[in-house]
Amino acid sequence: MIFVISFLVYFGLDLTPGDAVSHMISPELAATITPEKLEAMREAYGLNATFLERYWIWLTSCLKGDFGYSMAGGVAIKDIMVKTIPATLELSIVALIISTILGCSLGILSALKKGSATDSGLTVAGMAGVSIPEFFFALVAILIFGMHFQWLPVGGRLLPHYETLLDRIPNIIMPSMVLALALTAGAMRYSRSSMLDVLSREFIKTARSKGLPEWRINILHGFRVALTPVVVLIGFRLPLLIGGSTIIEQVFQWPGIGNMFIRSVRASDYPLVMMISLMYVFVVLTASLLIDLLTALIDPRVRLGKE
Amino acid sequence: MRHNKNIALSVKDLKTYFYTNNRCNKAVNGVSFDIEKGKTLCVVGESGCGKSVTASTIMQLLPTLSRIEEGEIIFHKDNEKINIEKLERNGKEMREIRGSDIAMIFQDPMTALNPVYTVGFQIAENLKYHTTLSKKEIREKTIRLLDDMGIPLPEQRVDEYPHSYSGGMRQRAMIAMAMACNPKILIADEPTTALDVTIQAQIFELMDNLKKNYNTAIMLITHDMGVVAELADNVAVMYMGNIVESGTADDVLRRPTHPYTKALLDSVPVLGRGRDQDIKPIKGSTPDPYDRPIGCQFAPRCNWRTESCDIMPEISNISETHEIRCHKYKEIFQY
Amino acid sequence: MKKTSLDKKFDKLRFLEENNKLVSKDQNRLISKFLNNKLAVLGLIIFSIIILATIFAPLLTSYDPIRTDLRSMRQSPSLDHWFGTDNTGRDVFSRVLYGGRVSIFVGLGSSLMAALIGLAIGCYGGYKGGWVDVIALRISEIFMSFPQIILVLLLVSITGQSLTNLFVIFILTGWGGMYRLSRARMLSLREEEYVQALESFGISTFTICYKHMLPNALGPIMVMITLSTAMFILTEAGLSFLGLGVPLNVPTWGNILNVATDIVVLQNYWWMWAPVGIVISVFVLAVNFIGDGLRDSTDPSQQG
Repeated sequence: MIFVISFLVYFGLDLTPGDAVSHMISPELAATITPEKLEAMREAYGLNATFLERYWIWLTSCLKGDFGYSMAGGVAIKDIMVKTIPATLELSIVALIISTILGCSLGILSALKKGSATDSGLTVAGMAGVSIPEFFFALVAILIFGMHFQWLPVGGRLLPHYETLLDRIPNIIMPSMVLALALTAGAMRYSRSSMLDVLSREFIKTARSKGLPEWRINILHGFRVALTPVVVLIGFRLPLLIGGSTIIEQVFQWPGIGNMFIRSVRASDYPLVMMISLMYVFVVLTASLLIDLLTALIDPRVRLGKE
Repeated sequence: MRHNKNIALSVKDLKTYFYTNNRCNKAVNGVSFDIEKGKTLCVVGESGCGKSVTASTIMQLLPTLSRIEEGEIIFHKDNEKINIEKLERNGKEMREIRGSDIAMIFQDPMTALNPVYTVGFQIAENLKYHTTLSKKEIREKTIRLLDDMGIPLPEQRVDEYPHSYSGGMRQRAMIAMAMACNPKILIADEPTTALDVTIQAQIFELMDNLKKNYNTAIMLITHDMGVVAELADNVAVMYMGNIVESGTADDVLRRPTHPYTKALLDSVPVLGRGRDQDIKPIKGSTPDPYDRPIGCQFAPRCNWRTESCDIMPEISNISETHEIRCHKYKEIFQY
Repeated sequence: MKKTSLDKKFDKLRFLEENNKLVSKDQNRLISKFLNNKLAVLGLIIFSIIILATIFAPLLTSYDPIRTDLRSMRQSPSLDHWFGTDNTGRDVFSRVLYGGRVSIFVGLGSSLMAALIGLAIGCYGGYKGGWVDVIALRISEIFMSFPQIILVLLLVSITGQSLTNLFVIFILTGWGGMYRLSRARMLSLREEEYVQALESFGISTFTICYKHMLPNALGPIMVMITLSTAMFILTEAGLSFLGLGVPLNVPTWGNILNVATDIVVLQNYWWMWAPVGIVISVFVLAVNFIGDGLRDSTDPSQQG
């Protein structure tokens, strides 16, 4: 799959304006180079070869870690990625953890109290959570916590000269909370419906007929089984996390890859846009692979089926 | 009511109503019976007649949108009487009875076992909450139980997940789970409907042995008249939430008196009578539970119907053990 | 025993039942289930109000959403300007109404178009299989390996910003999900007896597929249409907010919100961005309520 998409991406890259050689060498070098030398370089890089051959050269250099150069400023794309990916990962992981824990526990609560005021309240809140645009929520949060009360910094990842882990916490609270909002709502819905489904199964009745205490029925028998579909569904929501993080990063000036992506789209910096998209695809495909592995760990039926 | 030292559980005028879809369904509408120690009571009836609800009511395993309206469920534990209907649904007292004094086997062993835990774990759970055995003793007992139920290689099987068991073995495991604490009463809700016929016989043999060896009272819910003939000591026939006829197996099977019982028996082919036997299907279909006939519930489908059937008949005694709910039983009995 | 509220409800029902007050109604089960869902009805009402308001925008406001009025810049809400005016003196209320036209049109229109394309290919592919199905499946896989917003941004960067482009891009990114859903439904419906019966009568593939099977696959598709409408409206708003969606001279909900990227506006002129944010949220919420109601009434597995 990734190869098909990389092919398409390269195809797109090939169509975009700009000489292909400009993706391969740094602009400083390109400025001082003579046309003859350029031609020689093209020959050397195989750029006068057919499309497929060029694709092959590009692909192999990508696999070696050479992603070419950004059009704006001529920075190596690899360097940009190395700089921005950790920031995005930090934000996403924190948001994922918050939303999973919060979402699952609220969803279970909602399922156990089905039909009660708590349940309806949580359901409506969950709907609101997926309906409010994340950036609007972010703006309101910035206005209230960042400007009105001035409790939290309005943006950025790190204040200058503050390097310890503890100093980073105030900066990450708002973006991760906002990012977690829609995910929490999703996780809540999934775990609620999954839990309700499991609670209506026959083996719950069996567990009850054994005289087990309610907590054990709900947690050990109910939630344990409900967990598998929830993990899968949260996995499917990962693209949403990634998508959400681009806008949130922009609003909070978080120096992550999403922020960089939007900047490159604005600047029509095609090589960068293409490479970052490709990286996103890679992440999504890797994530779905990880989800498969995780499900196998949780569910003995799948685990044994694969042996 | 007869007074009998051997009674393990008596149900008196039990009514359980369901309140789903904003309607009131009188699923069980005044049911009385006794279960005796070391005997099997078979509850027979078409699907939807309230037999499974009766079983769930005894265990207080009803869904949220239902409740016990009236009546008593008295559990005779040693010398004390416990009114089950008064206990809190999932309260402590009820939980102590479930699994240790009264155990239940369900219809479909495929869905009744939790797929993510080993069979051993699920049997051990029962022991963990109702006995004071140590972990090691629990494990030994679990293996012994599986062995008793005729599961080969119990030491190995104990650590396997339900999906690697066959249907028959799962039901054996369910029985092992139910029998773990030597319950006084075993309620089996159509335990063999989902199994092959050859496996059915084995399961029933197993249950019969348990009854003999442990003096367990068994309440067997079924719609299979063959099973009734094979296993029952006492029989209760249910139709639309009422018991229409009850008595010993002899009473009900040899001298069926209620038109419904007769019709039920006539609709089953009997092995060995050849091809020309007269099988009569019951005419009509079961009424909509929300649109019940007034009076006798079977009246619209009954050949003996008269005007008096518009009033619900009371229970009458044909003999000391044989009870019936029908206005015309005298004529029918002679006939 | 103590009486809970549930017990009281039971008592009432039992009383009514015993007095023969309860009769099963003969109306369509789906519609009655939907109407019984209070949130879904509420959603439908809000949805209709907002749609009607945008359609009859000229009746509700006399201001032109595009005409600037430098004499009345940054006015706070008043009787003249219900939501105030923006940096160039345009009436925000009128912009919200006219912007709603575009935003809702883009969201609803593109999800309907995507559904149409997805259904047409999915039904045929799911029922007949063959090379059409194989190719469509592969292409949809490619589209679905991208996070949705990344793909949209990527395509925007290639095609450039315009309303038509955005419309087409949404359809391109949305059809895959619809296709896969309808294909999966068709695959399971294909095994049903009635389809085999129709086949044995010699009815043409086209008729079986689109006339007999399609209606049975429609329930989940309707849910998906509502959900993707909600998603497209949010995406449009997000893109325009970033200045990458519809060109700024066209009023859309996202473009109105764009002013909030300026921190001065954010802090001092709440009326320029807060009302439209709330309108978006409420509208999307209404659409989601409708979707949820549809899901509950069409999906038998989620009854209760």
